[in-house]
Amino acid sequence: MLPSGLPEIVADDEALARLLTSSSHFNATTVKPSAFLPNPKAGMTTSVFRHDAGNLIQLARDRRPDVTVHGAAICKAAAVRSAKLDVIAEEPPPLHANIVGWPVNEADLVLQKAAQKERALVITSKCKLVLF
Amino acid sequence: MSEPFSLIDAWAGYGDGTAVSAEADTIRRSVSAVIESVHESVWLFGLRGEAVSEVLSVAAKHSQARWDGEGAEPVSVLAIDRAIAFIRALPRSIPVPEIAAEPDGSISLDWIDSRSRVLSISIGVSDRLAFAWVDGTDQGHAVARFDGERIPPLILERIRETMGNASVRAA
Repeated sequence: MLPSGLPEIVADDEALARLLTSSSHFNATTVKPSAFLPNPKAGMTTSVFRHDAGNLIQLARDRRPDVTVHGAAICKAAAVRSAKLDVIAEEPPPLHANIVGWPVNEADLVLQKAAQKERALVITSKCKLVLF
Repeated sequence: MSEPFSLIDAWAGYGDGTAVSAEADTIRRSVSAVIESVHESVWLFGLRGEAVSEVLSVAAKHSQARWDGEGAEPVSVLAIDRAIAFIRALPRSIPVPEIAAEPDGSISLDWIDSRSRVLSISIGVSDRLAFAWVDGTDQGHAVARFDGERIPPLILERIRETMGNASVRAA
């Protein structure tokens, strides 16, 4: 059991929230793949919280007070795994997890980006957009 | 409100194109050129102009390092130039894309028909473009080279498949 009280393994039916810190990462109805692309400077991972659509504003205030959060993309862990990626709990902070397993191709970084983008698209095709 | 000026109406004043004088023919050709130029301007400064403005706006909002609080790179000047060149090279029949910033400093051009029907292109510092699509159960990714003037045919085909009969986004 983790300090937050959550189990160490993220279950397929758990909801994940990707906080949206760029207004360019969504339109009126849809989350764009850019919202999920991994950060090369963060070990090629995508940060998410094990949290559903309820009370997201409080989550954003608690966990990301340093940036403007416009809303969140909500999906199940199963959606991430259907993109041949995985979700690994990583606390602190509480409820935090990383999407890992992004394709890496050091010989061709453009091709690597294309492969990552495809995975991100699979996730966003199964996401719900919640705007604040 | 005043009636909008129409060059088509103005053109009608020059008859049915059967005039025989050299002056009439010259005028007819001149008006044709003006109409074509206006149509091009509407496209350039309307639809494509709006998309170019969006590129600049997104770049301005993401010009600082760590704009996401997680170490994102600022949007690169080269990516801005290439994205604008790409938009300007789009044929008129192609809807303009939505614009987004990416954590590595690239610009994403996205054609979104629905959340399960999307084509996304990354434009970064290279002349090679990463792109990927999802179309229902079909999905894939590829790389294509953009010379700054001509949109790679594979990408054009993908945009058309993604957007189907979607109308060109209004300015």
